[in-house]
Amino acid sequence: MRISDYTRQAGGNLWKKKLRTFLTTSGVVIGVGALVCMLAFGQGIQRNITDQFEKLDLFSYINVFAGGGGDRPGDSSDPDDHGPVHSRRGRDVRDVNHPGPQLNAEALKRIGEIKGVEAVFPEMRFPAQIRLGGKEMFTLVQVLPASACRAGLVKLRSGAFYDSDEPNELIVSDSLLHRLAVRDPEAAPGMKIEVATLTLDFSLTNLLRMALSAGGQALPFARENYAFTVVGVATRMGSMGPLPLRSDVLIPPGPAAQMRKLSLTSVWDLFAPSGGGANYASVSVRVQALQDVEPVKKEIESLGFGTFALMDQLREMRIGFLIMDMFLIAVGMIGITVASLGIVNTMVMSILERYREIGIMKAVGATDGDVQRIFLFESGAIGLLGGLFGLGLGWAVGMIINEVINVLMARQGAPRMEYFGFPWWLCLGAIAFSILVSLVAGVYPTRRAARVDPVVALRHD
Amino acid sequence: MDVDGFIETKDLSKVYTFGTVQVAALRSVTLSLARGRLVGVTGASGSGKSTLVNLLGGLDRPSSGSIRVDGKLISDLSKKELALYRRNTVGMIFQSFNLVNAYTALENVAFPLLFASVAKKERLRRAEELLHTVGLEARKDHRPTELSGGEQQRVAIARALVNQPQILLADEPTGNLDSKTARQIVEILSELNRQHGLTIVMISHEQDLLREFADEVIRLHDGAVVEREVLRQKP
Repeated sequence: MRISDYTRQAGGNLWKKKLRTFLTTSGVVIGVGALVCMLAFGQGIQRNITDQFEKLDLFSYINVFAGGGGDRPGDSSDPDDHGPVHSRRGRDVRDVNHPGPQLNAEALKRIGEIKGVEAVFPEMRFPAQIRLGGKEMFTLVQVLPASACRAGLVKLRSGAFYDSDEPNELIVSDSLLHRLAVRDPEAAPGMKIEVATLTLDFSLTNLLRMALSAGGQALPFARENYAFTVVGVATRMGSMGPLPLRSDVLIPPGPAAQMRKLSLTSVWDLFAPSGGGANYASVSVRVQALQDVEPVKKEIESLGFGTFALMDQLREMRIGFLIMDMFLIAVGMIGITVASLGIVNTMVMSILERYREIGIMKAVGATDGDVQRIFLFESGAIGLLGGLFGLGLGWAVGMIINEVINVLMARQGAPRMEYFGFPWWLCLGAIAFSILVSLVAGVYPTRRAARVDPVVALRHD
Repeated sequence: MDVDGFIETKDLSKVYTFGTVQVAALRSVTLSLARGRLVGVTGASGSGKSTLVNLLGGLDRPSSGSIRVDGKLISDLSKKELALYRRNTVGMIFQSFNLVNAYTALENVAFPLLFASVAKKERLRRAEELLHTVGLEARKDHRPTELSGGEQQRVAIARALVNQPQILLADEPTGNLDSKTARQIVEILSELNRQHGLTIVMISHEQDLLREFADEVIRLHDGAVVEREVLRQKP
């Protein structure tokens, strides 16, 4: 028999028993709909979480920590750095008894040469007062090499990156410009900005000023002013930026080394020589592609440094998602199981009703396989219809629930989100699964049909 | 036994088992039927006529003995080969017509071609041609329930012929028909036998019709051949 004939036969026979086909298919529709809806919810939740992480560009970074000697004072520190002190291997990276290699310029060079590394830069930030026109704003200034800027880390809105690590040029975020009342960020390149840092000043004049001041207001601090020119305006920096770019101003390492400044994130900073030293507490590594994270991490660890990557957390999250999916599938399967029993019942009924017809089929030359396939196509057709309409039902219910949740969440001031995800594999998988379940449900009845004795069937009333 | 018989059975037996009871439907039947003959099979109810036809048609398997058709051992065929034998070599008609009520006359006639993987257009063309042969072209879109007994049997004959079989097996084709219609059906079968050289084995209780149209008549009693009467010879 031809495939087209099987299909036509299945369609014709199901059409003849419209009500029964409708009721049986409805069972499959509800089962598939419930399964699709639940899985789509799981997918939506997963997508929202991973999208949020990806939006913050968290997965392509590896934080590298000094393998030994740990908290060396005086090096520039990250005010946001509450970073883990344990590598993924569980080794204490600040084990003072086993001092490891230091994170210095040479280490950065070696890390930068590892295959898959796009950019490597120390996490150096310091507080500063930014002055543009008549406005002043306190912010964190980040030291970022020119090479790291160009490696796709910084998204420019206008202007350009600084050419080298030496000029007194900076890149500023459009949000900071907005706060500094610059109406047109596109016109900012070329503007002069004053960066004022805080330093410790134990000079005689300052000590005298402190001694003579009333109310103990004076502290041994001095303000240093440095002139910079804006070369570029970047978007998605500061609090909206990727993890290693949580600053609104970027300057090259050259002028940063010449600047007298205090990080004020650690008590050691107070006693450190200004201008930064040769070693860093931590370094950020950006990889070219997500699949580079693991090999790069291993390479870095083999150099004796500790590492931390959020990609590892993603793996654990995925296990959690998998467990959630399994649970949702288990609940959804209840409906499918009931529906498959309906298919078995329908097919058994159909075979009993067409017992004589099966005898006729065999008498005119149908093989057992022909008979089995005729009924399997009917069973599969129920699955196909159930899968298609079930997918539609699952989608519709998902959309309704999504709207209801969004309306409720909007009252709480939450932004709109899509709580249901319908990836292509879920849509195709739901239809394929529905057909598969229907075929499996049809195996027993169709085998029974194939085994019908034509002599007995032809005498059947 | 004819050495060159087209259909040959040798010591053909069929025993049915009902629980612990065994019933012999056919006992050691040895026959040889020449090609192109119209053979009548008669006998009392339960004498084994239908069992013989079912075995010849490959619908059932013998308990012992053998069946050869055109030299090919039918009794040893696998289930699939037997289905192909039914599809390509034999056509069958039954007392109760055995048409599919859900199909039209045309679809019923075309039904066997479905399993022979013939394209739909060709199936319908051949079916229409055969309905024309049996004089039912005008009733092609009618369902069996809308046809008389005689018309239904003519549809069944057309269906049996659609695969161009070499043998036509008829299990009491006139059993459910009035005498006039029965005669018309046997006339059609006789015509097919005469014009197309189709070998026909027909079970019937109508002795007059058998005497008038059959080339020979085999009488069965208690599963055994008790009489074989050759009525006319053919060249």
